[in-house]
Amino acid sequence: MQKKDTLETGWTRFLKEHGSIIFFAVLFLAASLFVNNFFTVRNVFTVIKQAAVPLVACMGLMLILTTGGIDLSLGYTLGLCSVLLGMMTKRYGFPAWTAIPLTLCVGAAVGLLNGSIVQFLKVPAFIATLGSGYVLFGIAQIFGKGDAFYQLPGDLLAFGTARPLSGLMDKLPEGAGGNLFLDQFFKLPAYVYIAALVAVIIFFLRHKTTYGRSLSAFGFNAATARLSGIRTARLHVLTYVISSTLVALAAVLLTIRVDCAQSNLGGSNYTFEIVTAAVVGGTSLFGGVSSVVNCIFGVLVTKTLENVVNLLAINIYLFQPLMGLVILLAIVLEAFKNRKL
Amino acid sequence: MALLEMKGITKYIFDSYGVAIRNTTVKILDKVDFSLEKGEVHILVGENGAGKSTLMKVLGGLIPPDEGEILLDGKPVRPRSARDALDLGIGFIHQELNLCGNLSVRDNIFMGRELTHKGMKDGKEMRRRSEELLKEMGVNIDPDTLVKNLSTAQQQIIEIAKVFSYDCRIIIMDEPTSSLTKTEIDILFRLIHRLKAQGVSIIYISHRLEEFERVGDRLSVLRDGQYIGTLEKEAFHVDRIVSMMVGRALGAMYENTHVPGGERVLEVRALRLEPHTAPISLHVNRGEIVGIGGLVGAGRTELAKSIFGYRKSFGGQVLYNGNPLKKLDPALLIRAGIIYLTEDRKTEGLILDMGIRQNISLASLFRLFPRLFMFGHKEEELARDMVGRLNVVCNALEQTARTLSGGNQQKVVLGKCLATQPKLLILDEPTRGIDVGAKAEIYHMIDTIARSGVAVLMISSDMPELIGMSDRIYVMREGAIVVEITEKAEMQQETILEHTIGRTGGVA
Repeated sequence: MQKKDTLETGWTRFLKEHGSIIFFAVLFLAASLFVNNFFTVRNVFTVIKQAAVPLVACMGLMLILTTGGIDLSLGYTLGLCSVLLGMMTKRYGFPAWTAIPLTLCVGAAVGLLNGSIVQFLKVPAFIATLGSGYVLFGIAQIFGKGDAFYQLPGDLLAFGTARPLSGLMDKLPEGAGGNLFLDQFFKLPAYVYIAALVAVIIFFLRHKTTYGRSLSAFGFNAATARLSGIRTARLHVLTYVISSTLVALAAVLLTIRVDCAQSNLGGSNYTFEIVTAAVVGGTSLFGGVSSVVNCIFGVLVTKTLENVVNLLAINIYLFQPLMGLVILLAIVLEAFKNRKL
Repeated sequence: MALLEMKGITKYIFDSYGVAIRNTTVKILDKVDFSLEKGEVHILVGENGAGKSTLMKVLGGLIPPDEGEILLDGKPVRPRSARDALDLGIGFIHQELNLCGNLSVRDNIFMGRELTHKGMKDGKEMRRRSEELLKEMGVNIDPDTLVKNLSTAQQQIIEIAKVFSYDCRIIIMDEPTSSLTKTEIDILFRLIHRLKAQGVSIIYISHRLEEFERVGDRLSVLRDGQYIGTLEKEAFHVDRIVSMMVGRALGAMYENTHVPGGERVLEVRALRLEPHTAPISLHVNRGEIVGIGGLVGAGRTELAKSIFGYRKSFGGQVLYNGNPLKKLDPALLIRAGIIYLTEDRKTEGLILDMGIRQNISLASLFRLFPRLFMFGHKEEELARDMVGRLNVVCNALEQTARTLSGGNQQKVVLGKCLATQPKLLILDEPTRGIDVGAKAEIYHMIDTIARSGVAVLMISSDMPELIGMSDRIYVMREGAIVVEITEKAEMQQETILEHTIGRTGGVA
């Protein structure tokens, strides 16, 4: 065995493997230079807060995309979970510590359903989740009777909006009290920390466990994976369960964040946004390739774009065509990256 | 003057980028000569991998030859695509049918050159001509029938009609009877005689001895990519043909330092591959290499996959170390110490986009990291050890499997299997499509494994390999085992070949 220089230099490899980081860096720099009020402490923290909930959903979707599948029911699962959470806490007075786990269980059940349809009935994930998504949306409408639940109970809101580090502010040394950055940092709500924790857990799951390795192998080549002793059926269904549970968690956090539980909190736009974030984050739609770090930047790219459109105050509808272009660009770049020379 | 002459056709093997490797001793075709007279049926025979299909693909314009020339009516031609070949009057009927089931017979015959009338598809004219064509060929099929509603033989006939409608002078048939029943074969042969009478020349690739006499006028033999000789009809003798097909000396590539033990590691009792095939029983002992011979399609891979639980089987029992296995499932069997090296390394053996390290550890993750988390250097140590033991030539452990040569890819797959620390190793064509050097290394490895007490079941189409490595040989035909050869002295290529193609077929 001899060491030989490969044609790829370190720089081109970084570009290929971490394109989303470059994408984000360029976008961030351009926005800082050309968009008024973008590069302010308050605005940057706003982007971080807005990115937290989509990140949780994106972590789940990334796992499914790694199998080579997709979850188009994501936004509807989110809506259903939101409505059920609202009903349980507001209409029936469940305490948060019962309602939240139950909501997560609903998410897991949706994942079990989707995963089973895809694995055992051999329906392509695209169609299976498109169909189940509409079923879930319908159920959410029937349960919620089209209503939205506002002014949710305090114990529920506290789960996401508490500021775990705010107590530290008083302990700061003299002079640092007026620092806007530290002020914003210590005021970050709990859901940002929850999202960060999810990202860390999924990072280990995806990159440092046999599950993550098997998942990637399965996404590249299911036949080889199964013949190599990977329990592919279990792995496949389990991935949908994990993913939808994370979507349910995203539903809980989003419901708390906007203090409103309703069935169209998610919807197909939300699905599209998360898919975009994952694809911009270098996740292959053909399976096998995905990275947690890149997905984090993928989410940041989409949220930064949204923020920029808001700040420019041109036309709020500019966001959607812009996102469309971004996903197209990301897919073209991916095809370019994987081009066989 | 012969209608067609192919002279000195040479084709080199390819590297993983599709570039011919010229500085190698292995050639797919090595200066092959072939000639075809007008109105004759010329049979082409040879073992699997002898180069028959490659030679025909060269003629059919599917692959370009690296050296040599093709003369048609004395003029040099060089077909560059299937369409080119058709324009020259050379039609190719592939082993697998290339028809669109949801289109009618008529639309299939005229596919890609639909007749038009004022810019619209002229269905009536196409129907009329198809009807005429089919009548001329002596078959009664309605041109408006959907192809999927026809029997396999009828589809085969449509394929021929399609080629025939191009006014082909030469029709290549690659094992046309492999999926046909006896009555369907009769229909096909009647058609061949008819075509012959009309002056069409046919090149007929087959493995079945009984067919040679029925349709053949001449017969040419290829072996290891070389032209061996041509026989006239009067000289069609089984012994002669078989000796031409095999006749090579066994090299000193094979090592046999292992000693078979007494305990039965694997025993298969009355397993059926299909509900209608005969039951299969076999056994493999500790430290023993048992070969399975037979033609492609005889059910050997199906047998291996059935034992390994990757395919449904019917009835029967599989015993491992004397205990019946309740459930056949790859994951369970690998954990019990059984591993299967697949026939097709690219689609079932490797994850081409992953590195050498990840591929080697893939089937052993459960053993290396029983607690889910993959920390530490165990994986890298394992990969480094396997790469060293198998002498894999690579730049780095992270090099993707896709960029390795065939021989090194095969070594990585073998490394993956050995990494599971198996007690029973099922090998399916362990040296297919790799160069001689890598072959010898793999033989050495297999012998070493057997010496350490592992039971080896090896499927092989390579006769010298089968004979050189095996302690016992089972020969399969039509989904069943037809003979078990236990004595080394009886392991003659001629004997095995006769069993694989069925001497009882009628030629003697």
